Amino acid sequence: MQEEIVKGTSLWKDAWKRLLKNKLAVFGLIVVVLMALICFLGPIILEGLTGIAPDYVPKDSDLVKSFPPSAQHWMGTDDLGRDLFARVLQGGRISLMVGIISTIVSLIVGVSYGAIAGYFGGRIDNFMMRVVDLLYSIPYILIVIVLLNSFGGNNAPAVVKAFSDLFGGGQGMNQIFMLFFAIGFISWLTMARVVRGQILSLKNQEFVLAAKATGVSTGRIIFRHLVPNVLGPVIVYATLTIPQVMLSEAFLSFLGIGVQAPYASWGSLANEGIKNISMFPWQLIFPGVTMALTLFSLNFLGDGLRDALDPQTRKF
Amino acid sequence: MFSFIVRRLLIIIPMALLVVTVTWGLIRLAPGNFYSSEKKLPPAIEENIKKKYGLDKPFYQQYLIMMGNVLRLDFGDSLKYEGQSVNQIISRHFPYSATLGLFAYLLALVIGLASGYISALKQNSGWDYASMSLAMLGQSVPSFVIGPILVIIFALGIYIFPPARAGGFMNYVLPVITLSAIYAAYIARLTRAGMVEVLRSDYIRTARAKGLSETRVLLRHALKGGLIPVVSYTGPALAALLAGTVVVERIFAMPGLGNIFIQSIFNRDEPLTLGIVAFLSILIMVFNLLVDISYAFLDPRIRYE
Amino acid sequence: MARISFSRTRLGIALLTLSLIISSCQSSAKNRYYGKTEAPTDNVMRYISGSEPESLDPQVANGQPEARLYMAIYDGLVEYHPKTMEPIPGIAETWEISKDGTEYLFHLRKNAKFSDGTPITAKDFVFTFRRALSPELASRSALFGYSLKYGEAYNSAGSFVKNPDGTFLLKKDFEENSTAVETHDSLGTPSDFHKFLDSPERIWLKAEGKDRTEQLEANPKLKAAIQGKDLVPVKAEDVGVEAVDDYTLRLKLYQPTPYFIGLLAHQLFRVIPQHVIEKYGKNWSKAENIVTSGAFKVTVHKPYDKVVVVKDPNYWDAANVHLDGIEFYPLDEATTMMNLYKTNDVYALYNHTPPAAWLDQIKGVYTAEYMDQPEVATEFYVINVKKPPMDNVKVRQAFALAIDRESLAKFRKTTKPLTDFTPEGIFPKYEEARKKIQDVKLKELKISEADWKKRIFDPERARKLLAEAGYPVQGSDGSFNCPSFPVDKVNISYNTAESNKAVAEFVQAQWKQNLGITIPLKNMEFKTFLPMLNKVEYDGFGRRGWVGDYMDPFTFIGLFYTKANDGATGWWKQEFDDLMTKSNNEIDEAKRYELMAQAEFMMMQEQPIIPLMTQATNWIKKPFVKGLYPNPGTLHAWKFVYIERDPNKWDTDVDNILKNSDPLVDEQLKQLEAPQKALEAAQKAAVAEQQK
Repeated sequence: MQEEIVKGTSLWKDAWKRLLKNKLAVFGLIVVVLMALICFLGPIILEGLTGIAPDYVPKDSDLVKSFPPSAQHWMGTDDLGRDLFARVLQGGRISLMVGIISTIVSLIVGVSYGAIAGYFGGRIDNFMMRVVDLLYSIPYILIVIVLLNSFGGNNAPAVVKAFSDLFGGGQGMNQIFMLFFAIGFISWLTMARVVRGQILSLKNQEFVLAAKATGVSTGRIIFRHLVPNVLGPVIVYATLTIPQVMLSEAFLSFLGIGVQAPYASWGSLANEGIKNISMFPWQLIFPGVTMALTLFSLNFLGDGLRDALDPQTRKF
Repeated sequence: MFSFIVRRLLIIIPMALLVVTVTWGLIRLAPGNFYSSEKKLPPAIEENIKKKYGLDKPFYQQYLIMMGNVLRLDFGDSLKYEGQSVNQIISRHFPYSATLGLFAYLLALVIGLASGYISALKQNSGWDYASMSLAMLGQSVPSFVIGPILVIIFALGIYIFPPARAGGFMNYVLPVITLSAIYAAYIARLTRAGMVEVLRSDYIRTARAKGLSETRVLLRHALKGGLIPVVSYTGPALAALLAGTVVVERIFAMPGLGNIFIQSIFNRDEPLTLGIVAFLSILIMVFNLLVDISYAFLDPRIRYE
Repeated sequence: MARISFSRTRLGIALLTLSLIISSCQSSAKNRYYGKTEAPTDNVMRYISGSEPESLDPQVANGQPEARLYMAIYDGLVEYHPKTMEPIPGIAETWEISKDGTEYLFHLRKNAKFSDGTPITAKDFVFTFRRALSPELASRSALFGYSLKYGEAYNSAGSFVKNPDGTFLLKKDFEENSTAVETHDSLGTPSDFHKFLDSPERIWLKAEGKDRTEQLEANPKLKAAIQGKDLVPVKAEDVGVEAVDDYTLRLKLYQPTPYFIGLLAHQLFRVIPQHVIEKYGKNWSKAENIVTSGAFKVTVHKPYDKVVVVKDPNYWDAANVHLDGIEFYPLDEATTMMNLYKTNDVYALYNHTPPAAWLDQIKGVYTAEYMDQPEVATEFYVINVKKPPMDNVKVRQAFALAIDRESLAKFRKTTKPLTDFTPEGIFPKYEEARKKIQDVKLKELKISEADWKKRIFDPERARKLLAEAGYPVQGSDGSFNCPSFPVDKVNISYNTAESNKAVAEFVQAQWKQNLGITIPLKNMEFKTFLPMLNKVEYDGFGRRGWVGDYMDPFTFIGLFYTKANDGATGWWKQEFDDLMTKSNNEIDEAKRYELMAQAEFMMMQEQPIIPLMTQATNWIKKPFVKGLYPNPGTLHAWKFVYIERDPNKWDTDVDNILKNSDPLVDEQLKQLEAPQKALEAAQKAAVAEQQK
């Protein structure tokens, strides 16, 4: 490590090199990128090629039931006779979206919150961290219920609607995106803690003191000088947030307050599948394996990034 | 150290009250109430119910009465389960969750520490990759999938364990395994990471240089240092585990506190939700404190002012 | 190397799981019975009763999970017939009903006792009825006692108005179309209280506050009349229930209410012990204090785990109770229930438990176990008729016609398609009346028989109606679309449940196929959904299921009765109310049903709801459990249930279980019903004698 610093390569290039050396992380990266591509483009291609839409219910009532995998339906069909492959792809979109959006929320809110608390320290820090503790202790199902009721469907705030419109919009989509934000609303807490800890240890270093002395504004110090320096742990933690959030969504689906039908997520598909496992095992196996594989890869990627970016810290 | 503990203990009380207040507000914001049902009640009956439970009083009065109850550590009666006090419900159902949680954590510790430790010693070996892959898998499969699969194999396929319900030791086996999977996986990863770091550190090098036996170095010195991340993880994990894990309790029909907590929210059973929230938040804070104290014993560098 | 080892482990696990799953499926498919099937060595029934009971106090909890349990531990004046749920004698051995149908006289058994040995007398019933209606108890089922004279007045904390001369203001003086029946024929020995009940009905004011203000605003004459007069609160003692002597009970109703006798088997009216309630207060229903009146008594109550009841030797009919005990397990997860059933840990489940997707494997294969009979329950979508575009009746009809109900029933597997509001196959006499009325109405409206039959699914007419309403449907079969329809103003709201979701997705697909309109879905957790439904705040469609409380069509059609009705659609019509009021005062059964059928027809013409299906019982039981029947409300009279150890006598053909006879149960029923049947026969003979 010391040799590398002597060579003077940039932190990022260096990290990238280290990441490429980690086979499992590379494997994870490839799987995640592929999965994202397939899920976001797949439904369009599939529908264009075969005309199979994820919410297409056959008109013939004899076909409205679960069939095992066949040449026409690669992963079989679900109880309503809908193509499971198309649903797994669409579910992937939703599951990845919930991961990405909640992570964005947790990045924006968590990083600024943690940075402000850490930078000012003292009473402000104490107060802000107690707020985080407080939010940790409040049952988040209650938060989800209240948020979805007040801001779901047609009542969704403009930001949520804007995101939802990217995916077709409508009441159902608004509801889903509101759920994403509700999950994000809870997932920033740990991020705030992580960032605060990092900032605390950085804020008394020379470069910050120098900036202060030259009269740089506080906001600029926090967001231009300090935050870029903690990006390593932030990115690492963000990668690990995605699988956690996807599992949270699966948990909400298990409780019945997850993604709005007829849309599905991997979590909700797996939850339906597990109920029918002894009758129609394909209903669990395909969404389950796809989900596990993705989470698996994200975890490997996260670990790899952690080793590459931040060899010092090994725990969160 | 002593004053640190006292300070931390003191802040628990106002924090718990704050948590209860915010939760109370959220319950009041959530639509519906405990008596709403499929059949609309005639207004007269609704009035009777409001009067009986003091819901006809102004909001601030209801809040003050509620806080008064909380301060006396008496949360009153559940609204859904007539005549059962919240304290009774908590003390009756917490032991189930605690048993499940403790055993699951112990199992997770044994599996996680052992495999993490061996992985760290044999870095980049087949064993390392295999056990770490398994750990990742444990973290990637939701427990509502693991549980039913275990049931299908060990209760329906070959009848070794009962498929559900509380009872004797055998009833606990499958839920404990299901519950421990994700924790075992996490602990394995933490242990490995911690150990790898410690093995490279100076004091292990010193210990070896002093001529201590390799077993002694690995078991006494390295393990102790490698345990720190596991310990810091234990606080929140154990608190979450003891509070019960809804999914496992539902799948295995265990009468634990976790499911009752979730149900109380869905039922809008306000006193019960508040009681459990207060109980859990205190539990979590106490655990976090214990974890902080235990650092001091594990790592001589950490001092509390 | 790493990747190889990892993928091997993975693949191995997947294959192992898969093979185990498949092998477990196959092994069960070979059996005649679903999973392990062995009669228990003890004489104890093990049953899953649904969610954790809210209370063991039958007047507090009003849900089905509790009702299933109360059936074992409390006895009422009458009991539900194990097959039909018609009333059969309980603690009342016989009863008489006055000719005008407003007075009931019950003759109680002299050997009925509570589980602590205290005799049950008419006074206990008086206590039970009064407590049920007391505003302090605030029972959620109190509504069922409103048929009793002054029952509603007492429950609503109302007041009579007393004149200075000691008389009271009477109802007939303040209401134009007073329905109060003024002449009565009386049963049994008269008493002062009886005279009071038989005297002209007093008017009563609602509880102080908003309700009373509204009442007085609506009736200026009454407002003027009460000035300066004494208001006397209605007391428990004013309610129309009287202990004539220790073993004779008299009830007084406002109107002839033919279904009232069936309603008396409801948990609200099952007798509870006054001496224990007064001693322990709200703690009386805890397992350590509880005293019960039914065939079984409670020994253990571990919340969220089990309720254990054992045979009560003090029960009046203990000789005919077959089981030594029952264990009730509260459970919510359907898969878990099925697992416990499969491993023989429980012997029967409550209704609607096997998931629809499993039925292909269960139905038809395990013919000795799967219970598929019509239920007194329907599923339908309510429509918010107040908000456009659903305020247009043509739009509502179009959506109703565009669902292929046959195909929906096929998809749900257990249900039957429904085109009217009342369920099919439950009230045969009412259905006759309905058919008759429909024939008349169709002629009046010049609707052909063929068209009428097509209301089960008629997509062409649906599109025509939509076009008439201003939303033309374009395109051809397979690619309809209706761009002018405002989809953002409507949705299908439903509360979270696997079955609700499946039906909503199916209906959504149907509308998309047949009308080219994709109505968004909106699921909510139950308590979020309920206020929206009850206050009619939803947009478009709301999912609703209705389970009858008693075996009479009024339990369905009555949902839309009065302006403040519980229909959750915003629909109300004076003509409908008039028909219903008339039917309520009609003593002749056939005429009463015809009036109700007219009302139902009128309502369905305006389509405030979209009927979807009649529910089926949909539960399973082990073949060795006998005397347990798929009755329309899934409430079991547990004293008829027994465990058969001889596999040759096990149930084989459960599809005909209601028709086939079981000598043991039939004999038991015959003995129970004999005195009442004899009494009714004697009454008929007397009437015939008089007519001669």
